[in-house]
Amino acid sequence: MTRRIVSLVGAAALTVSVAVYAQNVVKIGQIEAQTGTLATYGWMGHQGALLAVDEINRAGGFRVGSKTYKLELISPDTRANPQEALIQLKQLLEQQKVRYVFGPFLTNVFNGIEPYATQNNGKFLMLGGATAIHAMLGKPNHDYLIRTWNWDAGASGFGQLLVDYLKKQGAQKTAMLFQNDAFGKVAVDIYSPIFKQAGIDLKIELFEPGTKDFSAPLAKLSAGQTDFLFPGYTDAVLYDIVRQATEGGLFKRFFLVRGSMAPGQKNQDLIDDYIAYLPKYFEEAEKKEPKVKAFITAYKAFYKQDFPYDQAPLCSSSCYDHVYMLVDAMKRAGTVDDVAKVKKQLLSMTYNGLWNIRFDSTGEAVFDFDVLHMRKGRAISVTRINPK
Amino acid sequence: MWQLIVGQLLNGAIVGTLYGIVALGVTLTFGITGIVNFALGVFMMLGAYAAWYFADTVGLPYPLAVLTAVVVTSFAGLVADQALFRFTRNNLVNGLLVSIGMIAVMESSALLIWTSTPKEMHHVLPGVFAFFGLVVPKMKLVVFGLLLAVIFATYAALTKTWSGRAAYAYAQNAEAAALMGVPTSRLQTGVVAYSTGLAGLAGALYASLYSLEPTLGSLFILKAVEAAILAGIGSVAGALLGGIILGVTEGVGSIYLPLAFRDAYGLVFLVVILLFKPSGLFAGRR
Repeated sequence: MTRRIVSLVGAAALTVSVAVYAQNVVKIGQIEAQTGTLATYGWMGHQGALLAVDEINRAGGFRVGSKTYKLELISPDTRANPQEALIQLKQLLEQQKVRYVFGPFLTNVFNGIEPYATQNNGKFLMLGGATAIHAMLGKPNHDYLIRTWNWDAGASGFGQLLVDYLKKQGAQKTAMLFQNDAFGKVAVDIYSPIFKQAGIDLKIELFEPGTKDFSAPLAKLSAGQTDFLFPGYTDAVLYDIVRQATEGGLFKRFFLVRGSMAPGQKNQDLIDDYIAYLPKYFEEAEKKEPKVKAFITAYKAFYKQDFPYDQAPLCSSSCYDHVYMLVDAMKRAGTVDDVAKVKKQLLSMTYNGLWNIRFDSTGEAVFDFDVLHMRKGRAISVTRINPK
Repeated sequence: MWQLIVGQLLNGAIVGTLYGIVALGVTLTFGITGIVNFALGVFMMLGAYAAWYFADTVGLPYPLAVLTAVVVTSFAGLVADQALFRFTRNNLVNGLLVSIGMIAVMESSALLIWTSTPKEMHHVLPGVFAFFGLVVPKMKLVVFGLLLAVIFATYAALTKTWSGRAAYAYAQNAEAAALMGVPTSRLQTGVVAYSTGLAGLAGALYASLYSLEPTLGSLFILKAVEAAILAGIGSVAGALLGGIILGVTEGVGSIYLPLAFRDAYGLVFLVVILLFKPSGLFAGRR
């Protein structure tokens, strides 16, 4: 009998402790592509978020009201597949009872999960960088959305500012060579009016996903006497496009709004101008910004590997800073469950981390970024821009 | 305009030889083992990464890196044959299932080892040849020459040597060939290893022209199978010509038609050919 009472008391204590543990953990879901050709846009987000979660938990968690919470990151790999992402989102919301979801960065993935996510409006917050999120912000039943990346167009849009910069370089005709997929088409819709407004002719060619040999479109585009090539949008194609364009002497001037500097640097001897939008040029920022230096040191210690300078700029979306922002917002809101209150706090704050991040009234991020210009002779000039 | 068209004819032929050499592997494997080995694409990927690794990480001279990559892929093909493919001889469905499984395993392994970040080999032979307004990268011409040499050497070996004739005999009538003393098991294993070696060579040469990612073989194996069907399965010279026709169709088609549907041009061409010649353009010829 005594044994039975002891085991019952033990079981009850265990149940209570499990319940307490469960109550004191805030789960963050993350739906990003971590593998595959489009993983460039999800891999770093995962790396940065995981590092922030580890730092916060090792520091003892965070207090909201009288309770101390720890974070748990659940991050399945979407492999850029909308169907897989939809199943993963359902599991996160219905089984894991997650209230905060980071990602997606990819437009095709967002388009695939959007109807289901909208059905769950009010139950969770989605902090994603996908370009397609922009069009949904402020629409009825889309209160769950916060976009974590700078928007291309508009007075303070980075694309607008970059095209203005391009105009100052004397651009008159530009050739846009993008992938024929969801984002490629959105990019054409965004940039066609921006170029038109700037008075720069824009020739557009879309190529099939998986293309490796760009000889035909490059020859075709260069025959039109274009001065700048505007290729996109991942390094997986940029390496080939930049190499083939420069090797054949077809283009020497490049303009990028997505992708890294690496393809340009690899072919720098044959390039006159390589202008790129980069959320942060970590190689330079490491020398000047203590927070960036600390982040790089923490990354190396945590992952025990070299810092990925080429991928790190993509930590500007749903990544390291955003975990800290979310924690701050929960503290200020005094709740970890009421997503409306947490969103209100997120939209009212300016976070000074790796980036200076704030959100506009629609819930879209505005943060400082770099414009890099590599000129002939390999000199790189960095212009820091703080959008209004 | 003529420079653009002639340039794309030439470029299409060069890219087409890459399709052609993998198609040669497809046609040889099918003729001798009775399966369509879709895993040849991942052997090409393995060859590409191996060449990149030996050239850029280990520091071997590029020609030596290519040879090492071919040896590595041939050995991997031999292991795959002995562990898996030999149980699927002349069973199209089982062979297909095993090759699809191998694609999943090898692509995932490549992702784990080399990640999805593209790898680009140092520029082995930079610069271009310019003549009559045409501009062709030097390395592309070298790759073209090498692939043509290997395909013609394979053709010569198949028609002029005892082993080659034995392979043809086996493809035509397996039982009769066995009764005539052809060592069928060794022949099959040898052909699988040779085919994977060809795919490895294609990958190693591809690495000198394009950036690498773990899924690079998927596109090429589809094109190679298209080329083999276009030519007619079993024709060695046809595999090369099928690849070149496909490459040229894509290249020239991209000038006049939207690039976004480039892969479709080759497929439309294939459908048209098969409507009039269901066994392929060069079926029945060696």
